[in-house]
Amino acid sequence: MGRALSWLLGGRRPLASHLLLAPASLWLIFLLIIPAGGLILLSFAKNGAYGAIVWEFGLHNYARAFDPKYLPVIFRTLAFGAATTALCLILGYPLAYYLVFRAGRWRNALLIGLMVPFWSSCLVAYYSWMIVLGKEGLLNTAMIRFGFLSEPIGFLYTPFAILLGLVYFYLPFTVLPLYASLDKVPRSVIEAAYDLGAGRWTAFWKVTLPLSLPGVVAGCILTFIPCLGDFLTVEILGGPRYYLLGNLISNQFMMAQDWPFGSALTSLLLAGLVGGLWLYQRWEKA
Amino acid sequence: MAEPVSRRSFLKAAILAPLMPALLAACRRADDKKVVNFFNWSNYIGKDTLPEFTKRTGVAVRYDLFADEDEMFTKLRAGARGYDLIVVGDYLIPRFKSMNLIEPVPAGTLKNLGNLGPRFRRPVYDPDETTVPYLWGTTGIAYNKKKIKKAPTSWHDLWDPQYKDRVSMLDNVRDCISVAMQLLKIPQTTRDPEDFRKIRELLVKQKPLVKQYSSASYLNSLVAGEIDLAMTWSGDLFQTARENPDLDYVIPKEGTYMWVDCLAMMRGARHRADTLRLIDYLLEPSVAAGIANSVRYATPNLAAQKEVDKTLLKDPRVYPTPALMKQLQLHHVLDSEQSELWSQTWADVKVA
Repeated sequence: MGRALSWLLGGRRPLASHLLLAPASLWLIFLLIIPAGGLILLSFAKNGAYGAIVWEFGLHNYARAFDPKYLPVIFRTLAFGAATTALCLILGYPLAYYLVFRAGRWRNALLIGLMVPFWSSCLVAYYSWMIVLGKEGLLNTAMIRFGFLSEPIGFLYTPFAILLGLVYFYLPFTVLPLYASLDKVPRSVIEAAYDLGAGRWTAFWKVTLPLSLPGVVAGCILTFIPCLGDFLTVEILGGPRYYLLGNLISNQFMMAQDWPFGSALTSLLLAGLVGGLWLYQRWEKA
Repeated sequence: MAEPVSRRSFLKAAILAPLMPALLAACRRADDKKVVNFFNWSNYIGKDTLPEFTKRTGVAVRYDLFADEDEMFTKLRAGARGYDLIVVGDYLIPRFKSMNLIEPVPAGTLKNLGNLGPRFRRPVYDPDETTVPYLWGTTGIAYNKKKIKKAPTSWHDLWDPQYKDRVSMLDNVRDCISVAMQLLKIPQTTRDPEDFRKIRELLVKQKPLVKQYSSASYLNSLVAGEIDLAMTWSGDLFQTARENPDLDYVIPKEGTYMWVDCLAMMRGARHRADTLRLIDYLLEPSVAAGIANSVRYATPNLAAQKEVDKTLLKDPRVYPTPALMKQLQLHHVLDSEQSELWSQTWADVKVA
């Protein structure tokens, strides 16, 4: 234990590096490793009377998690995650490109503008969307006023509303890494492409885009992963038929009072994510 | 650039710093003395109820809200300490007792306990009177008179395909499973997995019609015309109907369930004497009547009834006539095994 801790705190390096590492190590130990360890431990426990936790260990929760009735939920979650990531990329790449290469002196103001929605809780943001999307909301009222619709459309509690909420919330997670990596593309390389006779498109396809790929990957990972655990969006904007993995997990804790099973589901999600990232890193190195 | 700390501000801090523990201790003492931490449903008390209590006794009430009983239970289970008084539904009382979350109100400490109607004394769900009944109501159907031409009369109307995407159901195990049981004529005492399979099937069959499972936000949806037909709790709808007079409430012809929400003292409550004082205050006839008039649920307080609004008192959907009363049943008190079956069935409906 002592040796493990000293390793975590920087091994046999000088004292200064130990001290510099300490906040991060302590953060990781107390806010990641210990809670995740507790969660994994809980996932092997048994659910007792009225949801009391019985410390009899076994794999029963994991066996239950592979019940085929949860398959649609898993596929739906992956589909919403993939769609959100794709939409964020399609919307986010031009946005980041514009910020880096075209925005000029507006660049910082626009960057702050991108962050503004984060200054309020996403709960507040979603409730505002309810006001916009409702049958008597801004969107329907405006479309009826201008003659595009005769009857209000129920936008709320549909896959459209869920996707809108997810894209709205996760877009900055895609844009910021893209922005950072586009910003690092040396202008001289792009100019060299022009000098060698490349047109705008060729320079973009052959130079800018490949050099910004690390940002694309980082942006996709940062968007896709939190999407898989999201439950609030569906809870507020989505209807009962679009239950995602996050909702399944949150319901085990909040409603069914089956914490061990909820922990098993969470551990599986965690394992899937860590495994996926590990495979990706190996593939990247290869 | 941050300014370097000036000598004066450093001195100020140096002088104040030793005082901090004393200040903190003073805050703590104030906290120990004159406050009750009360955890209640949202929209479930009169506007003046608590300020009046504070004015009269000098005891402040820190008031915290929940909109979902399961969430409240989870919060307390997960170790939320510091609440002195909570409101808990009758069907949850055995669970709260078995998990040692609540403490009995000591016998003889409440001088207003006798104000309660006889049917609310020593009830089946709490025969030893650990808790004190606060308000009661029924589960029924809310509808928009303008949009639903034929007033609903039966629970079956919530399964009518012509109302597709206009229905909402309470996001609550107890209510949804009970209604399915009532429609299938299955007694609440059942443990037969086959019964629960049928219940699940019935509720899953309804899912394509359901726009929302919700216990609070559906009320806004009703007002905004997002949905037109909803399973609801009586008083919540009556409160909402103040905003939209087109909304009305029906007790289905199959009969329905009545439930009683009770005041319970948390185990290890730090402000016991003042908590008991608050419970006793809430039992005073004029206070109980004030709450009932505001939230439009029925008060179990018999002595309060002469101060309840006449229109409410005469409305059989709030204070049922003896004939209607026979159609109302309390929820069966579930043991832990049944409780698990109910929760699992409901979880399966949500996932389907």
